[in-house]
Amino acid sequence: MRSAPHPVACRCKRPTSPRGGGKKGALLLALSLSLCTASAQADDLVAGLSQDIIQITSNYTGTDIVAFGAIENMNVMTAAGPMDIVVAVRGPDGDMIVRKKERVAGIWLNNHGVEMHSIPSYYYVASTRPLSAIAPVETLKRYELGLDEVSPRSTSARTPEIAEPYREALVRHKLIDGLYNENAGGVEFLSPTLFRARVPVPADVPRGQYNVQVYLFRDGNVISAQSTPLYVDQTGLERRLFNFAHQSPLAYGVSTVLMATMLGWLSSTLFRRIS
Amino acid sequence: MEIYLPIAEMSVHWLLLFAIGGAVGFLSGMFGVGGGFLLTPLLMFYGIPSGVAVATTASHVTASSMSGAITQWRNRAVDLKLGAIMTASGIVGTGAGVWLFGVLRAAGQMELIVSASYVILLGTIGTLMLRESLEALAAQRRGEPTPSARAQHHNWIHGLPFKVRFRDSRLYISVIPPVLIGFSIGVLSAIMGIGGGFLLVPALIYLVRVPANIVMGTSLLQIVFVTAASTILHSVSDFTVDIVLAGILISGGVIGAQFGLRAASRMRGEQLRFWLAVLVLAVGARLLYGLLVSPGDPFSVVDAS
Repeated sequence: MRSAPHPVACRCKRPTSPRGGGKKGALLLALSLSLCTASAQADDLVAGLSQDIIQITSNYTGTDIVAFGAIENMNVMTAAGPMDIVVAVRGPDGDMIVRKKERVAGIWLNNHGVEMHSIPSYYYVASTRPLSAIAPVETLKRYELGLDEVSPRSTSARTPEIAEPYREALVRHKLIDGLYNENAGGVEFLSPTLFRARVPVPADVPRGQYNVQVYLFRDGNVISAQSTPLYVDQTGLERRLFNFAHQSPLAYGVSTVLMATMLGWLSSTLFRRIS
Repeated sequence: MEIYLPIAEMSVHWLLLFAIGGAVGFLSGMFGVGGGFLLTPLLMFYGIPSGVAVATTASHVTASSMSGAITQWRNRAVDLKLGAIMTASGIVGTGAGVWLFGVLRAAGQMELIVSASYVILLGTIGTLMLRESLEALAAQRRGEPTPSARAQHHNWIHGLPFKVRFRDSRLYISVIPPVLIGFSIGVLSAIMGIGGGFLLVPALIYLVRVPANIVMGTSLLQIVFVTAASTILHSVSDFTVDIVLAGILISGGVIGAQFGLRAASRMRGEQLRFWLAVLVLAVGARLLYGLLVSPGDPFSVVDAS
């Protein structure tokens, strides 16, 4: 199996949509990548990560991973026109509700809300130059590159115009939380062919499968792309407690009450002894 | 110093939260209250999501009422029959409250309702307490005996049907008032995270006319069971109980409560009540301010998956 040539090669001349194709696609991707690491091939683009699994433990305060790669095909190198690398990292998609407070009878309350379906929980894009200088807006839109282009698959709003301020608010909140970011100049060339980008992974990133997509642009067109999965997992006591609370909530609630009554009883008997 | 809360999904300074638990415990020991009405707003000010603040505070109140309940039980100062009726109706009320809590949460109005109920409750209780303590202090200064409120002999409650005899309280009254009081406290417990002692005790004294020596033990019995039920129901229906947060707060709380008990014996009741009233009003005012002042960013984002 390992030696047999696989139909899905690492090299993808026609880049796939950033959202991939569900579980089956992810599996094929992982499979093709495992083949990739086994043998270096003469591709336009090869890329990798300094770490492909991040374990979040109780003392995790955030880290940086490094996405690195090389342009391998000399024809690509010698051809005319500016060349750019864009690295886009997307966390697992989820649904979010954005609510807007309005003043009603003197009190500020949530009056309107828009549900955003399937929007990345984490998004980071680094590039050699500002994205607007690399490619036209239509191309950036197609590949969802840049904070202006991160959008949900659908919303509960009647028109996209209504949803837009809510989408912008979501991006703003995610930026503050460090979960969304755009870094023009975040990809640096170490040699004419070798590049690298730092990807920040803050403490409160959601768990799940991330996708690191590296694009090679020339003259505003994507000429090669490669994607690599990154897994973020939570370990330790916190994770076990979270699972406990969600998988057997009754036992969890009873345990909390038992802990409370034990501590209450313990303190009253202990302090009675002392005094 | 930072610890990650698995349910609130945020990193917090555990020492600060331990101190908050200790301070609230100190006050609850000093004033003989559960302290939920202070702890929930304080957690919200800290940045804990209001749903988690409410549900987790309920377990703190269970712990802080526990030692009081044990003491009263040992002294046989509990009307078991009355306590059982109120606990049963309280648990039904908690169920209704948790259901309402879920509906409000889905509609995005839970935060508003929690804040608004606190403003109303703290404003009313604080004003009443402040007036009462000022009157008592003024009377003391004039050298008069402290006026004590005394219930009238007959009220409308005696006209209600379904009379039951409560031997420990030496009462023969309708079950409707205890059931209604228990139910309402249960609803409030689920929505606000409080035990409701500061409502329950006056209600039992003035409406049901439970003797003063029985009232504390009976209400503490109800509070322990109702807040325990509230903790379990919130865990099951909306996953908002944070066991790590509860552990930190309770550890601080039970220690603080013992010091509070000691401090109370060295202070005068009227002054104590005056300062508690000031504190209650200050917390209420801060919450009201939050509702009235325009938020920096009108948008808020919630995870819906």
